[in-house]
Amino acid sequence: MKIDASKPLEYSTEENSNKIFGFWVFLGAEIPLFATLFTVYFVMVNRFASGPSGSELFEIGPVLMETFLLLSSSFTIGLAVHAMRLGYKKATMVFMAITLLMGLAFVGIEIDEFFTYVHEGATLQTSGFLSSLFVLLGTHGLHVSFGFLWGVGIMIQLWRRGITPATANKTFIFSLFWHFLDVVWIFIFSFVYLKGLM
Amino acid sequence: MMKQLFPIRHVMGYLASLVLSAAALIVIYGDLSSSANMVVLLVTALIQASLQLFVFMHIGESADSKKELYLNIAYAMFVALVTIFGTLFIFVWGWYA
Amino acid sequence: MDLDKFKVHGEPLIYGAMISIALATIGILVGLTYFKKWGYLWREWLTTVDHKKIGIMYILAALLMLFRGGVDAMMMRLQTAAPEMKFLDAQHYNEVFTTHGLIMILFMAMPFIIGLMNVIIPLQIGARDVAFPRLNAVSFWLFFMGAMLLNISFVIGGSPDAGWSAYFPLASIEFSPTVGNNYYSLALQISGIGTLITGVNFIVTILKMRAPGMTLMKMPMFTWSVLITNVIIVFAFPVLTVALALMMFDRLFGSQFFTMANGGMDMLWANLFWVWGHPEVYIVILPAFGIYSEIIATFSKKNLYGYTSMVFSMVIISLLSFLVWAHHFYTMGQGAMVNSFFSITTMAIAVPTGVKIFNWLFTLRKGRITFTTPMLYTLAFIPIFTIGGVTGVMLAMASADYQYHNTMFLVAHFHYVLIPGAVFAVIAGFHYWFPKVFGFRLNERLGKHAFWWIIISFNVTFFPLFFLGLMGMTRRLYTYSEESGFGPLNMLSFVGAVGLAIGFLILVYNIYWSTRYMPRDTTNDPWDGRTLEWATHSPIPLYNFAIVPKVETRDALWSAKHDNIPLYTDNKITKIHMPSNTGKPFILGVIFFFLGFFLVFSMWIPAIVAGIGVIVMLGFMSFDKDQGYYISAEEVKATEKKLMRGETV
Repeated sequence: MKIDASKPLEYSTEENSNKIFGFWVFLGAEIPLFATLFTVYFVMVNRFASGPSGSELFEIGPVLMETFLLLSSSFTIGLAVHAMRLGYKKATMVFMAITLLMGLAFVGIEIDEFFTYVHEGATLQTSGFLSSLFVLLGTHGLHVSFGFLWGVGIMIQLWRRGITPATANKTFIFSLFWHFLDVVWIFIFSFVYLKGLM
Repeated sequence: MMKQLFPIRHVMGYLASLVLSAAALIVIYGDLSSSANMVVLLVTALIQASLQLFVFMHIGESADSKKELYLNIAYAMFVALVTIFGTLFIFVWGWYA
Repeated sequence: MDLDKFKVHGEPLIYGAMISIALATIGILVGLTYFKKWGYLWREWLTTVDHKKIGIMYILAALLMLFRGGVDAMMMRLQTAAPEMKFLDAQHYNEVFTTHGLIMILFMAMPFIIGLMNVIIPLQIGARDVAFPRLNAVSFWLFFMGAMLLNISFVIGGSPDAGWSAYFPLASIEFSPTVGNNYYSLALQISGIGTLITGVNFIVTILKMRAPGMTLMKMPMFTWSVLITNVIIVFAFPVLTVALALMMFDRLFGSQFFTMANGGMDMLWANLFWVWGHPEVYIVILPAFGIYSEIIATFSKKNLYGYTSMVFSMVIISLLSFLVWAHHFYTMGQGAMVNSFFSITTMAIAVPTGVKIFNWLFTLRKGRITFTTPMLYTLAFIPIFTIGGVTGVMLAMASADYQYHNTMFLVAHFHYVLIPGAVFAVIAGFHYWFPKVFGFRLNERLGKHAFWWIIISFNVTFFPLFFLGLMGMTRRLYTYSEESGFGPLNMLSFVGAVGLAIGFLILVYNIYWSTRYMPRDTTNDPWDGRTLEWATHSPIPLYNFAIVPKVETRDALWSAKHDNIPLYTDNKITKIHMPSNTGKPFILGVIFFFLGFFLVFSMWIPAIVAGIGVIVMLGFMSFDKDQGYYISAEEVKATEKKLMRGETV
């Protein structure tokens, strides 16, 4: 396999740079996916029937915590890729571990939030508004949870195989995914929570 | 070593994203009109998204496919905006009343 | 457990279907065992990552589905052939027209096109495979398992019965309590994920793996059309993914997206469905435009007229295709402003499409035309598709659409667009590229017989439907009274449908006959082709090209043959890297099939187990260290020598 030394390790073979490009295209597909979920939410936002509305339901505290965790984890995964490019395996893994732990904490808070909603009688079945809220947040949360499992898999590979063109490629692609989830969260934070509390 | 591991670009990007998130809180604690609030949300969210895209995701770093990546994101945004605003146009703004 | 919900009660027809499915399955299993083909099947097909074989499997599946969808169509035409027919009852008629639409569009037209794409695109751009061969196998198996899941619905639990567009509230659990629409949401979801992956794969393949010298504006037109199609796939299918997921939530978990109470909004389904649905039309039609462009250029012995305008009109079509969806529901209740907007965008699509039609006509002008079977289909496509297009502009006028909406006029219109626009195209492409894949041509005489049967019968079948629509016959009507006066034209349409069936049978017979008796093609280039797929051997060696060609003009092979621009500057054969076969995509597909099946019947524990299975399989695939293997230079040389002598390898 041809290795181009002038590029970062994760781009170094044709297959690797194709994978990165392909993942960008996949993220391109994720944009309409989340846009559709937002569409549904915007159409449903005032259709809360007998259930609670957003302003009655949302609490800013946990949301700020979630935002802080996700923004910080996006920062640390960026640092992980940076460390990887410098060739520091240990630093890469530490940053990745911090990222994943923050992701896990995020999912934990989200699950707690869902439980609180359900306890207040606001379930998936209550109203169109709540259905769209749960599915929008849930899809994002599912992405984060899937990202957690994926990230753990990559860390095991990094640990066992070291920083090779293949593992570097996977780590970089994972970082793209994680940053993208942060972008989606920013829109959820702004147009679901803040707008709801406005 | 520490300096190497924490490049200034990333640190600044991170701080900027925290500041922008905090700034967006003005829509709940401040006293702006609702359209001004929407402008604040749009501006802060869009800047944050581009921060991620350019600073953290390095969208512009690969010379071979820079153009394609921008086109990819542009097309995706086109479809996303058309879906959101087209649907609102049909069901909200343009609904037969 | 309540076994009753698995059973479909009813008619001799259903029992007949059950028995024939069971017999066919047993027949296949016994045959495989008797001829000791299990190993062959596993090694050569189920685990293959070769784009050519995956393409062939797509096309085989599509032909099978064409048969299934065709039988559905025959049943519908028979049921409506005369007033008050008693062949099907209302419920079965509903199931039949629903599965007919779903199968023909999603499991026939799409896979046929994706199959041709798989076989031809890497060859046309001078590549050795697609960008991600293993992912390609995942795509195929997800598509295939989705298709199978939908097909078993006919005998286990009942088929979807709310139309291929599954409008709410009819498709809700309240009004469609059987599992039929659960099958709809899950089967389409599974195959849709496969299609999305195909989209990503082909975009990367076309943008990143072209032979040296082939700039974007030197790509063959079929490659261009496939690139744009895949762009539409990547950005339109996620909308369907979400819509189907919401449908599943509504039906399985009682959410309130498309319900009539508690703030749900049934019309949102129609909206989301068509946000995806209209681009989907162009997903099946744009590659057809590409196929026709290749065929017209080849058989007119001219380069394609207006190449640049062809490319730009496709780009514009792809953008406009996302801006017209509301024309599917002008009568839903949105205001005049909305309808005017979507009216104008819809009519605007006629402009780039018209540009393409004129470009084809100008390509034909002063060409040395040979009337081969693929060329005949292409020539028939132009006027018939134009009728479809013009009636489309009629339907685009929102105020007039209040009359046409949901009548047989609409049914006639979209058959006039989709059959020449997709079915004729894939048949033409099938005849055209058949010798490349199998090393012999299909018989021309039989091919032309089939062509005339199909072309004439098509018009006999669908032209009367325009008038039935104008007379007021609505679509999806399972029977009508004598006094309505719909009888004679419907009978005519049925006669046409029989003719179509005969045409397709001749086509299938032609495949059988040609396989047995047609002489081998030793030229590798039987049609005097213009593009790179004709530069390699037929049948195609595993590695496609022993030496990667170099491209300087749009019609690279034509230039090599007639203008002495060499395809190969470097004649050194080196070792070739190939991906290794893997059974994981197939196993993943099977697990997805069971996941879908368990969800359809709300069997939660097995569904969770299957869901974990999917994650575990993905983990296995991530940890895979297989780097592929090399075919040595000596082996390539030996293969080439054999192929030169016309031996099979």
